[in-house]
Amino acid sequence: MAGIYDDVVEVARRTMVLFFVVDTSGSMEGAKIGTLNQAIEDIIPEITDISENNADAEIKVAVLEFSNGAKWITPTPIPAQDFTWAYLNSGGMTDFGEACKELNEKLSRNSFMSDITGSFAPAIFLLSDGAPTDNYQPNLEALQQNNWFKKAIKVAVAIGSDANKDVLAEFTGNAEGVLTVHSPEALKKMIRFVSVTSSQIGSRSAAVGNTAPDEVVSKQNVFLEQVNVAYNNGDFEDESIEW
Amino acid sequence: MPGLNKGDIIALKNGKTAKICSKLGEGGQGSVFLAEINEKKYALKWYHKGTVKQPDIFYRNLENNIEQGSPSDAFVWPIYLTVKNDGEFGYVMNLMPNNYKSFTDFLLTKEKFSSISVVVNAALNITNAFRELHRRGFSYQDLNDGNFFIDPKTGDVLICDTDNVAPYGEALGIAGKARYMAPEVVRNITAPDVMTDRFSLAVILFRLLFLDHPLEGKRTLCPCLTEKLEQKFYGVSPLFIYDPYDTSNIPVRGVHCNVIRLWKYYPKFIKDKFIYSFSQECLHGSQRRLTDNDWQIAFTRLRDCIITCPCGSETFIDLKADSSVCINCGRKIPRPPVLKSKKYAAALFPGNKLYRCHTIEDSDDYTEVTASVVRSKNRPNVWGLRNLSDNTWNVTLKDGTTTEVPNGKVQIIVNAHKIDFGNCIGELEF
Ligand SMILES: [Zn+2]
Repeated sequence: MAGIYDDVVEVARRTMVLFFVVDTSGSMEGAKIGTLNQAIEDIIPEITDISENNADAEIKVAVLEFSNGAKWITPTPIPAQDFTWAYLNSGGMTDFGEACKELNEKLSRNSFMSDITGSFAPAIFLLSDGAPTDNYQPNLEALQQNNWFKKAIKVAVAIGSDANKDVLAEFTGNAEGVLTVHSPEALKKMIRFVSVTSSQIGSRSAAVGNTAPDEVVSKQNVFLEQVNVAYNNGDFEDESIEW
Repeated sequence: MPGLNKGDIIALKNGKTAKICSKLGEGGQGSVFLAEINEKKYALKWYHKGTVKQPDIFYRNLENNIEQGSPSDAFVWPIYLTVKNDGEFGYVMNLMPNNYKSFTDFLLTKEKFSSISVVVNAALNITNAFRELHRRGFSYQDLNDGNFFIDPKTGDVLICDTDNVAPYGEALGIAGKARYMAPEVVRNITAPDVMTDRFSLAVILFRLLFLDHPLEGKRTLCPCLTEKLEQKFYGVSPLFIYDPYDTSNIPVRGVHCNVIRLWKYYPKFIKDKFIYSFSQECLHGSQRRLTDNDWQIAFTRLRDCIITCPCGSETFIDLKADSSVCINCGRKIPRPPVLKSKKYAAALFPGNKLYRCHTIEDSDDYTEVTASVVRSKNRPNVWGLRNLSDNTWNVTLKDGTTTEVPNGKVQIIVNAHKIDFGNCIGELEF
């Protein structure tokens, strides 16, 4: 007894890529890279769950590390359920400009953003504790011209007080996109919050905005608003060791 | 830290307490916990601080909804409210039985409907639930795939996330979910209300039948859905994939596979309802959008023309054509006798049923069976109509004589001309 619903296929979903751009320079060594590794590893099942129960977006993960040069850990964005986090080691310089260059190359319809069903604007998380050691400016400027990058949700997590927040703000486009954490506990919570919240943008009911009719609401702003709410709730309060 | 922990005791407004057992899930505004009240298990939704725009109004609205009671059994309605605790609060509702599966799971094909009539039943149950909600003066404001839970074997429906339900004219600050919001809500011209609910309902019903999205075709298949494009596709210039006047957004092979396959099976009259619902006029709100009642009548009529082919598969009968072709086996099926009443025309094919809406004047009850079409045990070519109602039928036969058919008894269909069901007369057409 065959029914017409026996052969239906999963509906087409747009792809949402979460980019983790991780500073693995020497200064990250020890607790910082250790916490970061564990926090991202821990969050993957939750991201998988969001992706697998979401008829709007399929979430994929891409990882880029930078120290002496920049290197993709994922050759292409990987569906969350197939992704396993390989622990990153730290050592070397902070070639931030190289990371911008790599990102600019892959943020293209001919490269990472090639899904036939199309994509949502990606979410890009930059995690860093220091300052660039290379001449990053030309590469960052080129990246800022990339349309995918322009539309992306961009967040930079400054780990500890030595991070150059001005550079991070240049990357995110505004100071509100730079979030500082001073403890492993706060870093863990921040990684979780940022990954989960951005994965859910577009698949959650939204509040009525304060915008004028036909004004386009920026997802980056919606996202930052949510971060604000969490901040005010004290979700990222430091509870233990300080860096 | 916000949120609740296992073992926490939460005071309810009615003086009782709820004990938190475990976390069941997390939503945009808060978390849902398994909770125990008087040794009975419930679900408790707890809002995180800052996630509700106007907490006092929201709280009072919940209180009002609890007082009013649920408009239909299909809603997972708030039953108790908690006392406010440092600005946070929540409400208690019944647990979702596990034979109900999220509509999202159907879209992701983790669950599949077992037959066409299950889909049509689900559509009937959804439209009826919203009809009752709207009739009580409420609007739902946030219809989306995550709110519907459906039994894949029966089409029974439960609708959750009823916390944004508000009386007509009041909005609680929720706009809705992308892809389900009415164009005027996407454009931020109006807040959600009954009219925008109607749009969202049409999207849900379309996806129930065809899975794919009514506004997503060739034109929306772009590399990056920016905020600006989203505004265009769902707000400023939405276009139905089967718009008869503009084919620039037709479904794409290999991407919108379900609607391409399923659309052709459905009878024209139901497809016309969707073509109308997603016409430019209805999309932009210049024409009246179909009401819940319009949909309920349409799906009752759709059910009236579903039969089970001898091959075992369900198929549609064109009640106006001499014969129809089974969508599964291709067999030609001559038009069966049809029972015509004031509003409906039902195919009388073995296995089919009549409901109160067919046999009682002005009834719109599509759930209570009043008659069923049966095959004679010894002469399978002879079909009869069994009276399953409390009324005794008065049947006028083709030869002009009349006969009485009480509850439980069967009238041979081919001999009958008219049936007086008690307060409504049905005419047979062959
Ligand atoms: Zn057949």
